[in-house]
Amino acid sequence: MKFLIKKRKMKKKKKMKKIKFVLILAFIFSYGCSSQSYYKLRIDIPAKPTLNLNQFNEIVITNFLIKKETKDIDLNQELINYLTTEIGQKFKGKVSSKNISFGSEDVFNNEDFWKNLSPELKRSLLLTGSVQYTEEIRKAILAKKRSRFEEPFPPEKALSERRFYTLNLDLFLIDTESGKILYKRSFKESKGYENPKQTSYFAFFDLVQAVKGKLFSNILGERKIQERYLISH
Amino acid sequence: MHKKFTLIFLLFALLLSGFCRTLSDKQINFGIQAAQRDLWEEAIFRWQKAILSNPESAAAHNNLAVAYEKKELWEEAKKEYEIALKISPKNSYIKSNYENFKKNNEISDKEKKDEKEKKDEKN
Repeated sequence: MKFLIKKRKMKKKKKMKKIKFVLILAFIFSYGCSSQSYYKLRIDIPAKPTLNLNQFNEIVITNFLIKKETKDIDLNQELINYLTTEIGQKFKGKVSSKNISFGSEDVFNNEDFWKNLSPELKRSLLLTGSVQYTEEIRKAILAKKRSRFEEPFPPEKALSERRFYTLNLDLFLIDTESGKILYKRSFKESKGYENPKQTSYFAFFDLVQAVKGKLFSNILGERKIQERYLISH
Repeated sequence: MHKKFTLIFLLFALLLSGFCRTLSDKQINFGIQAAQRDLWEEAIFRWQKAILSNPESAAAHNNLAVAYEKKELWEEAKKEYEIALKISPKNSYIKSNYENFKKNNEISDKEKKDEKEKKDEKN
């Protein structure tokens, strides 16, 4: 009798062991195999535009308020030409230019001025603003670059000169019907050049291109290649 | 006897949850494959299905948010990222995606700083 009871207990123990084993296996399968893996994707995602340009038929680019005259370069003409071409390539509607006379910087907040400027323009935008372009020469004593091989003498120091150009551009997009500012942003771009023969004309286009990138990303929602992670568990 | 039932019940629950997970994971992986082939509509469908079978899947919510970004559905993308982060707040991949999403939709800090500097100069 005792032997039978012992046998039964042994059987029960074995069964329990089996169940425990299956449980552990199930746990390992359901959780152990679920290590997280990811996929890095490079996708072109458009930036969210701050303004819906599709609701307008025309963009009128005006001359700009020049804060400080610049030698060698006709800032107004270059800016108007550049923006007309670049916006014309992206905007589905008409792009034109208009000459206006500014009183002071306060004019940008004067809704009546913009409303009365072109009453015939319906569903149109005015692109206007102020600009300042400056050149600066900075000098400093810098160590000359060492050659590839070890030199026994300390590096030579020499007077080095760099040309720095800064473009300050305040841009406004104004609704012609209400005279209200729909988009307003100040851009400050600067760049230094080691080349002493660098001209302000070429530097201007480097800087205005940087402005274009930011402006178009804001108003046109241009696509950019960006990285995102997709997760598999 | 009581112990035995508990164990069987636990085993059943574990297997069932494992099965649900596998179903959801299958959909997620299918969606990833579709996205890698630029089939974003299919990917969205798969990840939505994955969420239906497992609403607590941070991966499915994150992936769906990426797909919504691609489709320019900004509000939906934001909502999905927020759910994913709520489920898995320490997940570095989701955090990175969300940071990039926010950067893409706002003026960057550097640009904001530039504007502030200009305003200070004026004053």
